[in-house]
Order: sequence, then structure tokens, then C-alpha cells
Amino acid sequence: MSLNRIINSKSFDIGKSLLAFNLRYNGKFVPHPPQYRCFRTQARSLAYAKDLFLGQINKAEVFPYPEIGNEELEELNQFVAPVEKFFNENVDSKKIDEDAKIPSETLDGLKELGLFGMQVPEEYGGLGLSNTMYARLGEITALDGSIAVTLAAHQAIGLKGILIAGTDAQKEKYLPKLASGEHVAAFCLTEPGSGSDAASVTTRATLSEDGTHYLLNGSKMWISNGGFADIMTVFAKTEVVDQEGVKKDKMTAFLVERAFGGITSGLAEDKMGIRGSNTCEVVYDNVPVPLENVIGEVGGGFKVAMNILNSGRFSMGSSGAGMMKKLIEMTAEYATTRKQFNKKLSEFGMIQEKFALMATNAFVMESMAYLTAGMMDRPGVPDCSLEAAIVKVFSSEGSWICVSEALQVLGGLGFTKNYAYERYLRDCRILLIFEGTNEILRMYIALTGMQYAGKILTGKIKEMKRGNLGMAVGMMGQKLRSSFGGTKDFGLTGKDGLVHPSLADSALKLEQNVYLFGSAVESVLYRYGKSIVDEQLVLKRVADVIINLFAMTAVLSRASRSISIGLRNHDHEVPTPADTGTEMYHAPENNDASIKKIAEQILEKRAYVCAHPLDRTF
Amino acid sequence: MKCARCLLRLQGLGSVVPSARTANRYAYLLQSTTAPVLTKPLVAFNSHGEASRHFHGSSAWAKSSPPSSDLKEKEKEIDKSLLSRDELFERVARNAKTKAAFDKAIEAFTKRDRRRRGHVEFIYAALQKMVEFGVERDLAVYNRLLDVFPKEVFVPRNFIQRMFNHYPRQQECAVQLLEQMENHGIMPNVDTKVLLVQIFGEKSHPMRKYQRLMYWFPRFKHVNPFPVPRLLPSDPVDLARLGLTRIANDLDAKVTVYQMPYTDITETGEEITLPHIVGTQSPDQVELLAKHDPSRPVFVEGPFPLWLRNVCVHYYVLRADPLPPGEKVEEPYDPERSLYYPLELSLELERDMGDLGDDFDVEDLDEGPVFAMCMTGQGDQATLNQWISGLQEANAVLGRVPTLFRLDAGPRELQSPAGESHRPHPPPETDPCVPGDEGGAGPARQEVDVTLEEEPQHSRGVKQ
Repeated sequence: MSLNRIINSKSFDIGKSLLAFNLRYNGKFVPHPPQYRCFRTQARSLAYAKDLFLGQINKAEVFPYPEIGNEELEELNQFVAPVEKFFNENVDSKKIDEDAKIPSETLDGLKELGLFGMQVPEEYGGLGLSNTMYARLGEITALDGSIAVTLAAHQAIGLKGILIAGTDAQKEKYLPKLASGEHVAAFCLTEPGSGSDAASVTTRATLSEDGTHYLLNGSKMWISNGGFADIMTVFAKTEVVDQEGVKKDKMTAFLVERAFGGITSGLAEDKMGIRGSNTCEVVYDNVPVPLENVIGEVGGGFKVAMNILNSGRFSMGSSGAGMMKKLIEMTAEYATTRKQFNKKLSEFGMIQEKFALMATNAFVMESMAYLTAGMMDRPGVPDCSLEAAIVKVFSSEGSWICVSEALQVLGGLGFTKNYAYERYLRDCRILLIFEGTNEILRMYIALTGMQYAGKILTGKIKEMKRGNLGMAVGMMGQKLRSSFGGTKDFGLTGKDGLVHPSLADSALKLEQNVYLFGSAVESVLYRYGKSIVDEQLVLKRVADVIINLFAMTAVLSRASRSISIGLRNHDHEVPTPADTGTEMYHAPENNDASIKKIAEQILEKRAYVCAHPLDRTF
Repeated sequence: MKCARCLLRLQGLGSVVPSARTANRYAYLLQSTTAPVLTKPLVAFNSHGEASRHFHGSSAWAKSSPPSSDLKEKEKEIDKSLLSRDELFERVARNAKTKAAFDKAIEAFTKRDRRRRGHVEFIYAALQKMVEFGVERDLAVYNRLLDVFPKEVFVPRNFIQRMFNHYPRQQECAVQLLEQMENHGIMPNVDTKVLLVQIFGEKSHPMRKYQRLMYWFPRFKHVNPFPVPRLLPSDPVDLARLGLTRIANDLDAKVTVYQMPYTDITETGEEITLPHIVGTQSPDQVELLAKHDPSRPVFVEGPFPLWLRNVCVHYYVLRADPLPPGEKVEEPYDPERSLYYPLELSLELERDMGDLGDDFDVEDLDEGPVFAMCMTGQGDQATLNQWISGLQEANAVLGRVPTLFRLDAGPRELQSPAGESHRPHPPPETDPCVPGDEGGAGPARQEVDVTLEEEPQHSRGVKQ
């Protein structure tokens, strides 16, 4: 998949520091002078998760854990502090939830902080944040689900089309106002009869008789910000004549201003969670859209939509982690003050286990999110959509489980509306549904990997099917070896190992698992061939394994870095990868000691103790 | 007559039965000489008294062991006794053939003779009359019939009796009763069990039969995933609706009544009867029909029979010939269809040989697609044409497609005796069981009746 992506100056700086080990894998890489945005149409040849399908570990992509320079960190902290202050003082989540509306003062505050243009380049009046920095701010905005979704609908998908495929004129015209928050954007793709099936989109854009503009007709459903968005990215079918002269209906993306007229928004939906965000139906009735408002090419809307969707997901990991950290603090407070049988709740093993689970999940989410963001910020045009989807699936499900466990700790208290916990539960349910449901993303994860592995393995498998004896014997030998517990050395451990020696056990498990996964993928391909698309249950298992493998990698990489550079509380991170590793290794091991260790530290400090992955010691 | 044949058979069968019987006889003689009690008439049914047990036993023996020389005479006598049993029923049936009348007959029998002489014959007669009285599906009646057997008398008392077939006629009769229950799908209850234990003991053949029924019946109770209601609707429209939903087992399918049955008298005094037309079509079929190439004809075919318990209805289908293999157009794969994941992989690997899945589309069949179905009271072309024009409202394409009628002979001919040989067998319990209508290809229950008459011993051996 070719992607047009903007590498802004900041991300390039970060990239520079990582250039040393990146160059090898980036033959086509030419250093660009800073301050220039560059367009690349060719995807970087390799990314990490795809290689796992071949049973390989592409170490250079994930080790060492990506970090940002001191300057960026400082700059970031300057952004973070006021935003954090604003969310703690000026945002009344309870009221937003009850009124199902974000007050205009709050929105104005957000606009002043520049949160409506986080990823818009500075030249257009945005903050011009890199993906990593965007993820960091996402941690804070996630403290209120409604605000997070409003912001995400505005910039993660709403105006992303202009950033990815817009012309300079479009950018100059729209981005400044969008970045300042004067205009709010929305992304209009879903229709009553069309969710992920582009073929059933019925909204049509027909060229007017004089050929100066399109006339847009149709209706869109479940549009976040649909009630008040001024600029909308609308996808509609247009008639396109292809090379053979055949007329065909193809999707085209349009930039539609509410000011064009003919746009009506329905009543806001009454939702279970994220109630403050505005979701409604939008109807277009003969809306005139000038020709220059087509995003990308006419008939190229499908690619635009896919790229927007694929790029919008990665930040959910850090949002989830941000929410979890807050939740751990709140729940720990309760668990350490409530007493039963003259014992604090926090002294009970089963309660401790829940805290360990929450902390581990938050840790893994954080690790995956910043690893992916770091990979995306590297120079070149990395295709990290697979990783982003993995992060989305893992963090949405992790958040849901954790909020549920937190409610369990709180007992009846969590079930009442007097406290915020039930709101967290409601808000967090949508994470599993929007931006592509987790089921659909699992299909995407598994099939993208299968396609990649299948291209490379086709020759080998065909040879085997033809009855090549030598190959079969070789395979048998390999299988036999692995069944006797033979491992493959990917060079993570040992003398020149990339993983800190104290994590060697976990690293070995990862290596073993990757190797086994590779052979499993091969047998699946051997068995089903291209008909694997119809074997959803097999694909689901494949996706689950790859999600776990990526999680293990992220945790190992991050913990190695923390230990190596001596981050605060780094010793607390040691049990986590061991824990995560064991959990995902499906080996019945007794983790009680590490569960207790993690939980006790958390409950003692009444907070999530691990250092932030972006922190530096020097 | 039937019983006489039974008797003959029993006598001719192996040495086991007679020897047991002789043993009994001797025991009786012995007892009669040693026990003066017997000379007194029995006052009441004594459940523990040896004497009464043997008294009853001997009654069976006395009838079933005549010297073979005057067999014919005996046969006549039994004929008469059976006749009297039938008469018993005929007499009570004079007013109405109801359950109450049936009960009355049983009561009359039990009251008439305290010793219940001839109870086996009576039960056989009663079993035959059950359908006539409409009580063949009534468990209470079966239990009452079982109650006619004297209690305790036939329970084997030692291992030799247990080993041999103790009171075979009585056991056979009870097994037959249970078998009739089985054929009508009646599950015995605990009362049945208590009665059987009282009459024949824990390890008798009827008890075994009972245990087998209780083993299989609960397991088979819901074995049919498409149960037919026991009482079918009498209205032909409702019946057609039921039949159509049964064939087109699709919850989305819509059953439409295109015409209600209607009788009218015109001004000229002619009577016009409009038949009912009930049709069904699912959205999938509408879609399939919409895609149909208008240059290829569609066919109305029928009638095809459908049995619902003991009723046969006929249906018609609207179908087309399958496309010749060359003309099948596969929908091309559109890579710009799914926004989230690829719907197809561009790999050259096929599914492994041993792993071929089987798809089966209910509508799009190899023998051609079926677009709609209907049932009507009158299968002529005019009526069916009305159905087609009704269908046209939802399927505009029908206006452009040539429609051919390929109708077989009407349903009436199909039901005639000549056509009966290829009539499907309805399930046994649904059989009408009309006496005298045994000419058809024997449904199971009638087969049972036949075996009952001819070789009870064999039937018991197989069916138990």
C-alpha cells in the first residue's frame, strides 16, 4: 500500500536520532533538510509485525525502544502541563455526561490550548506535533471521553483527508481555521446501509450541467460532530470513465462546507457513553460542491478513506493508558482506605491481583502505543497500519477489562451514578466499536499478514505440495526439533543481545513463540491457501497471537531501555514483561510473587508507578 | 378368529410354553387335592393368597390347552367369546363413540366377571377399537386397559418361572398394548409402570418393553427438527400457509395470500368458486429473480405433493433452468469494496486437497433457481396465471420474461388409486388408520396390525 504521508520537521528530528540503525533498512532513504515536508508514495519496505508472520523478528524496527530528544521532551512537557491543568480544573465530566453537551467555554479553552490543531503543521497555525507527541497529549484528553472523541473526530479523521491528500490550495484555505478551532471538521462515510462495505454507499455526487461543480445528494449516519461541523469530508459515488471507456461508479472524497447550503443535521443521538460528543445524521440535498474541493483524484476516494482510517487508530493505545492510570489512582485510593475485617482491601490477594492486571494492561498499552508512534515518526514512509490496528484492538479490549475490574474492586460504589466509575465504563465501551470494530480489525491484521507471508511462502508451499522429498524431510526435521523444545536464536539475548540480561527469560519465550507462530502461519497457508479469507475463526486466532507477540515485543523493548538507562522505578518494570510473557506464553506458571510485587508498589504509592516511556535520564 | 390363530401358534411353538403350562396344571391338580380352601368360591381378589393366583392361572390354562381333536369346536367358542367382546363395544357405541363410552365398556367388562375371564381377548378387542373411539392417543385409557389384567397372578415366583416364558399370552398381550402406545407416540407414565410391576413383576417382557420405551422415547421426543403440529388447521388457506412455510424454511420469506377462497352466484344463477392462492417468496428469491436474464423463460411447474400428517397438499414452483456453465458470470472481485480488510488475497495457493468445504445454496441450485412457490385449490393455468400477476408487483422482471406452464395432471388424478403406488409414506403416528383402507403401500401401523394378527410371537420377539 502506498501512502502519502507528511513528515513534519519535528518527527524528522526524532528520526535523525534513530537514523543510525534505520539506514540499513532504508535503502531509498535520502536525508531531507529539516523544515521541509516531503511526500513519499512508496512504503518503507519492511515493518515489524508483518515479519512476525514469517517467523522472523525484525529487531532493528523495535530495538532499542524509540525515544525523543531532550528538546522535544521539554517542548512536549510545556504543552502537557497547561493541558493537564485545564483538564483537572476546567472540565466537569459529570456535567458534560449529564447534559450530553460540552459547554462552549470548555470548547473555547480547548481551542485556546491549540488542541484542535495538534497535528496540523505549524505553518498552517497548528501545533505541528509528531505522532509521539500527539499520543502523549492523547493520554490527557482521554480523561474525558466526550472531549477525546470530539477532538479525534475533528483531527484524527475529520481533517486528516486534507493533510494526507489535500492540495496546497485546500490546505491554505481550510487548515488555519480548522487548526484554531474556528471551524470544526467531521468525517462522513457511514451510511444507513453501508458500514464497511464501500460498494453500498448510496450518496451520489453528479456533475452539474455547466461542469463547474458537483451536486451532492444522500444521507450519512452516526457522524461525530455532525451537528455543528463546518467542514466535512464526505465520500460519495461519482461516475468515472475508466481507461477502457466504461462508465463506472467510484467513490470520491469531497470537502464540503456547511456554508454551501443544503445540509441538514438530524437530532443528536442519545448514546450510552461519550454522551457529550455530538453524533447525528447528516442529510445532503443538492449541495453544490466546487470542483476544487475534491480531495485527491476523482474516483480515488476509496484510497483516501482507507488511509485516513488506517492512520487514525494508533493514538487509542495512549488514550487507553491515560485513562487506566487515572483509574488506578482513583481505585487505589478507595482500596487503601476501605477496611473489612480490620484489613484494608488492598491487603487482599484477589484485590491485589486486579491492580496488577490493571497496571500490566496499562503498561502494555503504553508500551505498544509509543513504540508504534515512534515507528511512525521515523523517516521514510513507514506503513504501520498493521501495528496501529494491533494497538487499537489490544488497548480497547484491555481498557474494557480493566474498567470492569476496577468496578469490581469498588463493589456497589462503582455501580452508582454518584461516582465517575460507571461513566468510565460506559465511555470505554465505544472503543471496541468505532474506528473499525475489533472483529473487522482482527480480519485486517490477520489477512494483511497472511497476504505478506503468502507472497513469500507460495513457492515453498507449492514445492511441498508437489511432493518435494528433500523439503518435506527438512520440514519434518524442523518440526521435530521444535517439538523437543529446540529454540531459534534471533539474537535478542546472549553476548550482543538487544534485551537486558535480566529479561532474558522473557526474551527467550518471545523468540520461541515467534518461531512457532511462523510455522503455524505456514501450515495455515498450506491448508487453506487463499480461501483463508473465509476462515474467520482461524484468522481470529492468528490475529490474537500476533497481537500478543507485538505486545510482548513492546514490553520487552521498553523495559530493556528503562533498565539500561536507569529510569525511575525501572525495577518495577521487570516483573511486568515476565508477567506479560507468561500470560501470553500460555504456560501455567505461578505468577503470584510478581503479582504481589506489582500490586504492593501501586497500592503503596496509590498511583501507577512506572516512568513514562518518553522520559529520559540524560 | 384372531385369537384362535394366536392360540394355534402358541401351541405349535417350541416345547417351552406347553411344558410350563403342564407344570402349572400339575401344580393346580396337586393344589386342588391338598387345599380344600379352593372348593369355596373366592370372595374377593386376594392379592396374597396362593389359591387365587392359581385359580386365575388355571383359567388361562383351561382355555388354552384343549385337546387338539375338538379344536374346531373350541375355535368357535372363542370366536363367540371374542364376538361378545366386540359386542360389548358395539353396545356402548350405539349412542356415541367417545371416551366415556369406551370407559363404560371397560367398566362393564371388569364388573361382569370378577375373575376377568377372557381378559386377553377383551384387551385385544379393545386395542382394535381404540382408533374407532378416538382414544388411541389417550394414556389414561391405556392404563385403564392394563388395569383389566388381574394383579399378582402372572408374577413369576421362582427362578424356573422367571427363566421360562411365564404366562406368555398375557405377556404378549401387554406387550402388544405397549406397542400400540409406541406406534401412536404415547409415552407411558409411572402409573403404567406400577401396573406392569403389579401384573407381571419387575423382570417380565412387558416391563422390558416399558423400559425400552422409556429409554428411547424421551431421546426421540424432539428428534424431528421440523415438527408438524398435531392438529392441522382445517382452513385451506392456513394449511397452505403452514405447508409453504414448511418448505421454504426462511424466516424472511413472506407468505402472501393472493386470493381468498370465494364462492359467489352470478346474476345468471351460475355458481362461481374462486380457489385460494397462497404464495411465498423470500427476499433472496426476489433478488435472484431480479437478476434473471429476461430472454430466458421461467417455468411454472407442478403440482408436487406435500404430506402434512395425513393430509396431502400440492404446491407449484416458479423456476428457471440453470445457466449453461459457459454463461455463468462470476461477480468480479472489487478491491475497492471493503474499507477495512481485503476480501480476497492475491495468492496462488488453493485450499488443500483434503480440506474442501461444501457450500450449498438453498435457492441457487444446480437444477436451476427456484424463485417462488404457491399452493392453490385449483391447479389450472388461469389460476396460476393470477399468481404470476400477483408476483409481478414485487418482481417487475416477470412482465418481461416469458412464463411457461408445465403442469402435470391435476391433484385429483394424483390421489387416485393408480397413483397411489408412488405416494410417500406418512409417518406411522400420522396415519389415518381408516379400517378397510389397507390397500395402500402399508404404512407402519397397519403393518403392525397385520403382524399382530398373523404372528404375534414373532412380532414380540422383534419389537421388544
